[in-house]
Amino acid sequence: MTGREYPWKRRPGWWLRNRRYLGFQLREAGGVVCALYGLVLLNMLIQLREGESAYTAFLDLLRTPPVLYLNLVLFALVVWHALTWFMLIGKAQPIQFTRQPLPWKVVFGVNVLLWLGVSGAVVYLIFGGI
Amino acid sequence: MLLEPVFWSLFSLGGFITAFLFPVTLFVLFFAAPLHLWPTDPAAYTTFLGHWKGPLVRLFFFVLIGGSLFHGTHRLKFMLVDAGFKGPAAEAFLDLILNGVAIFGSLGALFYAVRGWLF
Repeated sequence: MTGREYPWKRRPGWWLRNRRYLGFQLREAGGVVCALYGLVLLNMLIQLREGESAYTAFLDLLRTPPVLYLNLVLFALVVWHALTWFMLIGKAQPIQFTRQPLPWKVVFGVNVLLWLGVSGAVVYLIFGGI
Repeated sequence: MLLEPVFWSLFSLGGFITAFLFPVTLFVLFFAAPLHLWPTDPAAYTTFLGHWKGPLVRLFFFVLIGGSLFHGTHRLKFMLVDAGFKGPAAEAFLDLILNGVAIFGSLGALFYAVRGWLF
């Protein structure tokens, strides 16, 4: 006997129905924005290879007000993606060092502290410090 | 699909890479100097070129670009599937295009990371 298969339906705009769905969809969008920034960084390396005038023109374009404001919005999505990723770690993969799994908020807090440490290390090791 | 676990693993790895490394990198390169939040301009040509000579910096950008591409293209695929781009042919098309972007983009980043250093 085989079960009856119901068609899978999801209404358009389902992610606007409540804040949780909206937060989920914004994280998905943030992940896609990360790939766009990956291509931007790749182009930055290409322009670096081309020479000073090409690189500076690319950087100046990124710093014109409309592009800068758009970048700020996209950057907010990247940060949201990072924060919600840290929230997910404790939920999707409960970490068990103790008899009971650690609450997700503890895992989130540890990851945020780790994130701050890693960010400081990147500033000093990759960009030569302040 | 035989390679599906590989792309899911790269998606997950890319998620960690982008979450931990992307915000600080984008802030330092694209916002710190124009918004006057940094005493110097870390993205200026001479400054960045000076840092770019270090192997660790080259490895960092290769990992960052590769991780973000594998993560983001995988997410985009499932957003498009959710939006109605379904069916074996449509998904095969998405796999071809999006995985192609991730693979060739990562190879491009690897090329620029080793060029001028190893050859």
